Amino acid sequence: MADAAHLGVKGVSKRYGAATVLESIDLDMARGELVTLLGPSGCGKTTLLRVIAGLVRADTGTLSLAGRDVTRMPPYRRNVGVVFQSYALFPHLDVAGNVAFGLNLKRLPKAEIEAKVRRVLALVHLEALAERPIRALSGGQQQRVALARALAVEPSVVLFDEALSALDRKLREAMQVELRQLLTSIGATAVFVTHDQEEALTMSDRIAVMHRGRIDQLADPRTLYDRPATSFALSFVGQSFRLSGRVVASEPGLSVIDTAAGQLRAPKQFLTGSDVIVATRPEHAHLGHATLGPGDNSLAGTVSNVTFQGPRSLVEVRIGDAFLTVQMPGRSAAPPIGSEVTVGWPIAETLIFPAEGEP
Amino acid sequence: MAGLTRERRTAYLLGLPAALITAALFLVPLALLFAVSFTGADGFSLSAYARLFGSEHYLWVIGNSLQLALITTLVTLVIAYPASFAIARAKGVWRSLLLGSLLLPLAASVIVKAFAWTILLRSTGIVNNTLIALGLIHEPIRMIFTETALVIGAVNVFLPFMILPIFAVVAQMDERLTEAAATLGAGPVAAFWRVTVPVTLPGVIAGIALVFSLTVSAYVVPTLLIGERYPTLPSTIAKAYLLTNEGSFGAAAGVVLLTIALAVVIVSSRLGKAPGAAR
Repeated sequence: MADAAHLGVKGVSKRYGAATVLESIDLDMARGELVTLLGPSGCGKTTLLRVIAGLVRADTGTLSLAGRDVTRMPPYRRNVGVVFQSYALFPHLDVAGNVAFGLNLKRLPKAEIEAKVRRVLALVHLEALAERPIRALSGGQQQRVALARALAVEPSVVLFDEALSALDRKLREAMQVELRQLLTSIGATAVFVTHDQEEALTMSDRIAVMHRGRIDQLADPRTLYDRPATSFALSFVGQSFRLSGRVVASEPGLSVIDTAAGQLRAPKQFLTGSDVIVATRPEHAHLGHATLGPGDNSLAGTVSNVTFQGPRSLVEVRIGDAFLTVQMPGRSAAPPIGSEVTVGWPIAETLIFPAEGEP
Repeated sequence: MAGLTRERRTAYLLGLPAALITAALFLVPLALLFAVSFTGADGFSLSAYARLFGSEHYLWVIGNSLQLALITTLVTLVIAYPASFAIARAKGVWRSLLLGSLLLPLAASVIVKAFAWTILLRSTGIVNNTLIALGLIHEPIRMIFTETALVIGAVNVFLPFMILPIFAVVAQMDERLTEAAATLGAGPVAAFWRVTVPVTLPGVIAGIALVFSLTVSAYVVPTLLIGERYPTLPSTIAKAYLLTNEGSFGAAAGVVLLTIALAVVIVSSRLGKAPGAAR
């Protein structure tokens, strides 16, 4: 089984009554890989995490972990570590007691347990707090205890259920970088669940964008950002400028789309007559006729706002009912509010998707 | 009081009426009770205590009180622990219904409930009649004025005082705790003993302290449901004051009763605070 995935999810579905929460999910992870399940609340990401942990049983599909079929295995035999959103630390135990919990259950020799607890606490920089009761810890410290407790049993996979969301922004950003370094250094395989796209981009080797119980796209952060597979993936990760339109002409590798704001070209063939969404990332857009090349899309708009930020200015342009914010170097003169401008971007950086409402 | 802050002084002032009432209605009578218990015909005397601890009869009475309290506490605990989880896990209307059925009887007087049991359990009562109608027994069995009737009545009256503190803790318990235990390798039994029990222990201890001290000092329930056959400390106190007019003896029995109840409350509150007991 050398080429089998370390964590293999195959055709997993879950229904609660009439509601389908997960619909034939496939996900293969390599050993040591960090994958984020990203999506809005209700997309099924937490349920999928709980299925992997064994806390929820899938209706269909199979799960394998570290070479074992764990589909019907209860959580206490799976060897998974979970860091819960509420941390779920044991209030009747101190820091070391929490970290030692799983090790005590394995009936390891006392000296070995103590050595392991010390090592794991050092890993999360909490050696000094081993004897503290849980209620005497800050949120960030509790988060580290929860992580240490999950790592202590050397799980085959560590699962993070919105584990950083309770921390304040500054601490969360520092923790993202530190956690990634820590997990990489010990070679841990981890699945994160989050609705925070920045967290997903920072933490993951690959991101699974989830939408209505399905994985819309599973890709590395750069591909996900540059080449979103669906309009949902586009709108959920990063800023985007979107217009809806209809394909009026097409040939291999090109579609011509009529939108309310004007005609655009996209580097992908769609059936003539189909309703589509055309989009680009704002950073590809530039202002003015002079910079337009033959391979560019262009639209006319009105400057609705200008924000000077020192190194750059943000020029918000109204095009039809959509707004596109274009960055300009701070030194160059921004057009006055209300002036008519032309916005352009390369056809190669134009994205096209079937209109929403389709599967 | 120059060193006190303004807020502090206000706080003391606000607490003053309560402190005065507590002193007048509880501390002074308690001091009197204590003093009277050590008084004989010629001033200070231990004779009341000598009589209480020197006779087999009164040791048996103290034993009766302790036995009733202990059995009632155990039975209510066994019923209340799973019941608290059932109420805490129940949703919406069911939860309100269960809590209501628990709280509503508290509004009824103990005397009403005790009399209700005497009516239910008598030889022509509904329990005996039902058993006969079902053909399970042929003639009424004696239920009222037995130890069984006493325990049934006491459990019925004091059960809410065991359920409520346990329920309060269970309702607040993070359900993820047992899930966390499971992912760390704890099967259902290990998770129960290593997480659920220690986390809910403060509620259990509070319930034990409440039910034990209430039962050990219960007067109405034993008097109505078993009577003279099973004298307890409270009935002894009542008799000393109301029938034999032995104030000093009654006071001594009162002090003993108070000491037992106080000891249970103090020991249990200590146990409830002990951290990391299951480390």
